[in-house]
Amino acid sequence: MNPVLGTVAAAVVAGAVVAVSVRDGRLAVVGLAATLVFAALLGAQLDAPLGLAASLTGGILAAYLLWIAARGGGTTGGSRLGWPTEALLAGAAFFVGLGAVGLGAPALGPVEAQAAGFALAALAVVPVATGRDVLRIGIGLFLLLQAALLVGVGLDGHPSQLEQVVTAALVAALGGAVAALGYAARSDGSGGFDLATESRVRIRRPLDARRESPRPPEVTGPDIGR
Amino acid sequence: MSLLPFLLISIAVTGAALILRGRPTIATSVVLAGLVASLIAALAIRPGETIVIGGATVATTDFLRLFLVLGCLSGLALALLGAGAGTRRDAPAVMLGTLAAAALALSLPDARIAVPAATIGGLLGVLVTLAPTGARAGATVGIREVRAVIIAGALAIAAAAWIARPLGDLAVQPQVFGFAYLGFTIAVAVRFGVIPFHFWAARLADAVPEVALPTLTAWGPAVLAVVALAWIDRAVAPVLPEFGAERAVLIGIGVVTIVLATFAAWIQDDLEHVLGYSIMGDAGVIILGLAALGTEAWTPVRVWILAFVVARSAFAAWCAATRATFWTGRLDDLRGWARHSPPLVLALVLVIVASVGLPGFAAWEARSTIVRLLFGEPWAGLLLVALLGPILYYVRLLAIGLRRPHGGTSAEDWRPSWPGIDLNQVRTSIVKIARVNRGASTAVLALLLALLAVGTSAGAFGVTEAAAGAGPAVEAEAVETGLR
Repeated sequence: MNPVLGTVAAAVVAGAVVAVSVRDGRLAVVGLAATLVFAALLGAQLDAPLGLAASLTGGILAAYLLWIAARGGGTTGGSRLGWPTEALLAGAAFFVGLGAVGLGAPALGPVEAQAAGFALAALAVVPVATGRDVLRIGIGLFLLLQAALLVGVGLDGHPSQLEQVVTAALVAALGGAVAALGYAARSDGSGGFDLATESRVRIRRPLDARRESPRPPEVTGPDIGR
Repeated sequence: MSLLPFLLISIAVTGAALILRGRPTIATSVVLAGLVASLIAALAIRPGETIVIGGATVATTDFLRLFLVLGCLSGLALALLGAGAGTRRDAPAVMLGTLAAAALALSLPDARIAVPAATIGGLLGVLVTLAPTGARAGATVGIREVRAVIIAGALAIAAAAWIARPLGDLAVQPQVFGFAYLGFTIAVAVRFGVIPFHFWAARLADAVPEVALPTLTAWGPAVLAVVALAWIDRAVAPVLPEFGAERAVLIGIGVVTIVLATFAAWIQDDLEHVLGYSIMGDAGVIILGLAALGTEAWTPVRVWILAFVVARSAFAAWCAATRATFWTGRLDDLRGWARHSPPLVLALVLVIVASVGLPGFAAWEARSTIVRLLFGEPWAGLLLVALLGPILYYVRLLAIGLRRPHGGTSAEDWRPSWPGIDLNQVRTSIVKIARVNRGASTAVLALLLALLAVGTSAGAFGVTEAAAGAGPAVEAEAVETGLR
């Protein structure tokens, strides 16, 4: 294992542990930002500056958009078991990733990327599956996406520059989507980033057709009285 | 390269529309102009061109060109319909952004790049879930859509990366290829929201206007399906053509979706949910096509995808026109709609013809081929009968329209009318003309899109030839080896 890449991979996982453990939305975004920045370093070739710059820009932009949604305050679900449990889970998955290098065939990329990808995937499961607020689900989705990208780097080698540009755009788009949804949730009442209760989700779509013109008066017909 | 103008126009206009979304009238005008410009740029795409960008090849194909042309035409009709019906403001920009992502995804031979591109298009869809009121409910629906899009994208990225390298040393080759194949195809199923991954897609119909539903649940996922088909054709099918368990899972998903989604569409009490489940049911055929796993499935699946996206857009246009005319989407309140608006009856009949098809139509033959590739008799015959199930909910809609209406009506007239134009107040006059012709204009747009759908389903516009054409990987190889 390359010690420099190992340190970067550890930083990726540490940021993710913070992101899924804390309840303060701003701190969670900071943790996620660390994950996105270090994951860009782990997944990119240093001799391909355009791709690296795109990955860093995408990660930072995504984190900044989330920061805009979270900077006014607001809590997220956080881990019910606490950060040590999350860290142990991530550590175990990290070592599984190291042990399963190449997944049955010689790997073309750094094993640290695959290990970090496994750790992120393990951390993403609970927020994605059981998250009850927009920010927590969003953070889980970021981790899941980064996990897939890092495992891809570990298995198939470093991506081309176009691939890095497209995946950077994807990360930024995810940041924009989660930020827009988080901002919308926060601006609606006092529930912060919480999801609506199920009964409120089943809305009747009254606003699709704007009644710009006055409607003719309703006329009672012969069917109504029956 | 002739694809670049399309990419530049569609991306720039989508970005401009998002920046201008605080001023809906200007944003809609910009997107309408952008859709026209994109249509012209799509028509100018020359198949068989390649270019290397950032170490990756981009190639144009006949299918790409036709997909984008049909997408721009459908997007234009839906955007105009949305503008006429007062539908949510972001829908046209989302459609154009989805087409931009589609242009990139369908031109990339490498699935590892094409999948993220297709996923970006899906993320744009959250904008139409955001309503000025009920923002939390909209955000809840939106984050569930994002969850489905990202889970699908992550699955497909991992699957594509897993078997992209040389795998000669692999000890358990069949299992690895089987898992990768299942992962990618399940990703497509999640993205379409087919049963049992339908929870988010069903809720989408609660919050999203009719004109945006096909963009989110048909056009965007269809791009991922085309990418998956190309990936299967290149990476999986030549190596191991038989996966018993994996194909059984997909066939199960496809058949269950076709049957249950059709039933669900039949029992709904509003147009949006009928539309949502109808899209789901037709997507089941695409899942069956991915289960067919062979070169024989290439053309019919791609023909069905083209027919599917345009036909669902036409049905969405009919739903939106009906809502715009009668100010309601509740079926109980729509009693007598057919007596009131003959153009909408004609549009629905054309939608039925496009969706169900007629013997000899390209879509009809494609669907039959997909089923016969998977099943022998009598199961193939039974499933083909089940695939006629959508007739049930269409007939129900027609029957409701022929019933005696509730007393009174506030419906818009389907006949065009021309109130006098006051030259001193031209803008007010134009607004008045648009308002009094709300029913007529939306019905005409629905009718035009229905005609486009019938043509596509019948195989016009070179649908079959484009679908049978090579994918971007083969095009790129042909150019590299001097064959083209």
